[in-house]
Amino acid sequence: MKVSFLIHNAYGIGGTITTTFNLAGALAERHDVEIVSVLRHREHPHLTPHPGVRLRALVDLRREQDHPLHRRPAQVFPAAEYRHRQYSELTDRRIAESLADTGADVVIGTRPGLNVHLALQAPRHVVRVGQEHLTLDNHSPALRTALRRAYCGLDVLTTVTEADAASYRRKMRLPGVRVEALPNSVPDPALPTADGTAKVVVAAGRLVPVKRFDLIVEAFARVAAEFPDWQLRIYGKGEEQDRLRALIERLGLWNNVFLMGAATPMEAEWVKGSIGVAASDFEPFGMTLVEAMRCGLPFVSTDCPYGPAEIIKDGEDGRLVPVGDSTAFAEALLGLVRDDALRRRMGRAALHNARRFAPGPVVTQAERMLQEAIEARGGDRPGAPSRTGMHRTLVSRGHAARDLARAAASSALRTVRKGRT
Amino acid sequence: MSTVLRTRCTVDADGRITFRLSPPEATRPELVLVLRPKKGRPEETTHTLGLEPEGGEGEFHAVLEPHPRLAEGRWDVYLRSGPDTVRERLRPGPRDVRVLVDGALRDRPSPVAVRVPYTTKDGFLAIRTWLRTAHAEAGPLVIADGAMTVRARLHGAELADEAKVLLRLRADRDTVLTVPARPAGEGGGTFSFTVAYGELTGTGNRIWDAFLRPAADAPPVRIGRLLDDLADRKGVFVYPGVTVDGAAIRPYYTVDNDLSVEVTAAVRTGGPPREPGARGT
Repeated sequence: MKVSFLIHNAYGIGGTITTTFNLAGALAERHDVEIVSVLRHREHPHLTPHPGVRLRALVDLRREQDHPLHRRPAQVFPAAEYRHRQYSELTDRRIAESLADTGADVVIGTRPGLNVHLALQAPRHVVRVGQEHLTLDNHSPALRTALRRAYCGLDVLTTVTEADAASYRRKMRLPGVRVEALPNSVPDPALPTADGTAKVVVAAGRLVPVKRFDLIVEAFARVAAEFPDWQLRIYGKGEEQDRLRALIERLGLWNNVFLMGAATPMEAEWVKGSIGVAASDFEPFGMTLVEAMRCGLPFVSTDCPYGPAEIIKDGEDGRLVPVGDSTAFAEALLGLVRDDALRRRMGRAALHNARRFAPGPVVTQAERMLQEAIEARGGDRPGAPSRTGMHRTLVSRGHAARDLARAAASSALRTVRKGRT
Repeated sequence: MSTVLRTRCTVDADGRITFRLSPPEATRPELVLVLRPKKGRPEETTHTLGLEPEGGEGEFHAVLEPHPRLAEGRWDVYLRSGPDTVRERLRPGPRDVRVLVDGALRDRPSPVAVRVPYTTKDGFLAIRTWLRTAHAEAGPLVIADGAMTVRARLHGAELADEAKVLLRLRADRDTVLTVPARPAGEGGGTFSFTVAYGELTGTGNRIWDAFLRPAADAPPVRIGRLLDDLADRKGVFVYPGVTVDGAAIRPYYTVDNDLSVEVTAAVRTGGPPREPGARGT
């Protein structure tokens, strides 16, 4: 089959870009695959796409930043989308043209606004797959309202967790749309896996408040008190850096806790450790959990929405602890630090269990899903589906009404605020 | 589109480094290590390794054996594909240096030679090397009550009872502060020393470099932290500053991973005077 991915900017850095390149590359082994990047701002992408994947861009900001149409706000790309300001009448037009001319059997959108384009503008014969890398509950009411209208035009909507898929099924009425969780994949590690002997705990991510690196540092104070030869290494950079540095000083942990700066790829750093940790309040998927476990590290994470509980089996390949509870986090971490045999056993389990996130199984699922969607599309589009019962309709209508009310309230508030300044 | 040639490398406990790469076309390829010259000086020292084919997939490997020792500094890594081709600087692939993480636990005979493959700020593969007759490896620092106490271990020389730690003023090498190096209970060259911050203050800003004199007539050995996987420690091992006699005092690791203490004359409290009409932003 011919598959076309539509992505915001394939030339940047980020989880969506990585996972899209991974999936596109794996599909390219057996299919005709292209990535269409709406924006482009540099000559080469940071990640090298699989040689079988064609990459092209619709708007080249190096030449077209000042295009008159690029100064006019986008009409098709929804105003409530996070990146609306980067879109314009020019992107509206180029995306529409690209979709009208596509030779693909399947077009895959990779963010809400682009999914809206697909739903509204893809030709009738093309299968429309929308991917959500964020979560429904984190979208604003206004965006949820816009998506509720548009997403009915999709054939398939994928989320990265089962929990988020359930949320879409419950809160959005999307008759005829197949909603399915398709996890992110992590390539097979290139280095030998960790052997569980290193006295190093590893955390990684952008240093932003939602990741709660402060809680990891606090919890580690108890580990360092009992095991002074263990260290915690935190990889990443961001706005929390200075606050974390101050916390390390206040707790007297400068011999044990280190802010390492950013490292990409992380693989060579994971294998220096023997336990991976994350304490996020919110994690749409949990890419670092899977990366570390694929390197053979057991993982201690908060049981936050949505990813961790679908990645870690508590007590088997890692530990899940309540959100925001540094005492519980320290207990779980100490359990693994104290017990070498347990740590190694859980590390082996992590390695085994995380294989379900290897490109192989994930691509097999994606292929089957796309194939079935093409077959379903072969006939006429299904009309009102019988599987949508009255109860679900009522539930989703309730959510729709609340989002509309909230969206109206917040836009009214914005108007009031604007009036003041 | 230019392809980027990435080189995997693996370090073992003896300091042996194995490089693996797949150059697009190669006849008698070589890996060339070039010691980065001091600013404005010509390039002088190179070390060449033959690349041997490995398997049938176009992969080559080269082994940098523990001997001969490499001079101390930063070595850039280049590929020369054939005798008549220009060399091309290499970028890193996966760097497996995990064996270095607990390198401070191993005994090091003299000379102490250390090699840490790392990624340069502009994204190339390089090797940081140290080569010292003897080396004093710093461990944990306790900073409390206006003093710092450092635990360290001497490698490559014998620690005598009369061993002393010297703090030498960088701007005036004749100014030396001496404190006793107390041998620690566990032996094996371990010792500790305490520096009272009040002894370090003076006029203006100053930097003290830390050395160990292992025996009365022995040459001083620089105290630093070289025996793990970090080529650049300065921004990672960060110690708190303490204000003593109006000066901020902070131990730190230099760009060469050696231990020094920085004394910064404190600014007046209350900040600079404001000009009339000046507004905050």
